[in-house]
Amino acid sequence: MDEKTRTRIGGPEDPREGLEAVVALRRTLEALEAAQVENAFVAGWPWARIAEVLGVSKQAVHKKHAKRIRAKYPGEPPKRKSRGA
Amino acid sequence: MMFVRFTNKSRTSVEAAFEEARMLGHDALGDEDLLLGILRADEGVAAEALYSLGVTLEDARDECEEMLSDALSSTGISLEDIRREAGEAFDMSLPDDRKIPYSPRAKNALVRARKEMRRLGDNHLGTEHVLVGIVGNEDGTAVRLLGRLGVSPEVLEERLFELRERADG
Repeated sequence: MDEKTRTRIGGPEDPREGLEAVVALRRTLEALEAAQVENAFVAGWPWARIAEVLGVSKQAVHKKHAKRIRAKYPGEPPKRKSRGA
Repeated sequence: MMFVRFTNKSRTSVEAAFEEARMLGHDALGDEDLLLGILRADEGVAAEALYSLGVTLEDARDECEEMLSDALSSTGISLEDIRREAGEAFDMSLPDDRKIPYSPRAKNALVRARKEMRRLGDNHLGTEHVLVGIVGNEDGTAVRLLGRLGVSPEVLEERLFELRERADG
């Protein structure tokens, strides 16, 4: 990282800067997780496999992402057998 | 309860603020979102004052993202790299069913807006009161965002009262 990308206010000793970085990371992490789960889904990965790599339960990943992704990709999920309602 | 004595314009601006927060991935409504809401609703003395000082909705949104990007940079992370890596699926916005609460700063701003209304002897809480409430958060995100756009709270308040008097007279 070059000097220009360093923030201007305060240094690492500025608590606000540190705390704001945490907020920025949390928001970005959330968006990144949503994007990568969606990418895996589009690539045909089943929820169980996505969950395994994320290190969480299948239920957790399904609860968090399925509704949003299904709404975005209506119809049959790619390369997967149909299921009951 | 929250919206007692609010004008239609100021209520619309707070509702617009929640839409902005959702779009930008803010898991709580910040005082910067209240500012964006005023610009997005594009009504009332407050939006007029902001526009007259050269603050547009697009500028304010861009600055919001710039502040996020700067905060990430301080930890050595590039938002651009993440965006590139994740591809088109990368989207900061929160899903429609996600509940977004008021942040303490947003609550403070609205409490201060009500005090401002009383101080001025007004019967209704308009966008100008909300804006005064927002810039009253001296250490808030909205004040810093405005500062990055070259607008100080003092100049903004002055412009607000000019426009208010003009509207009354």
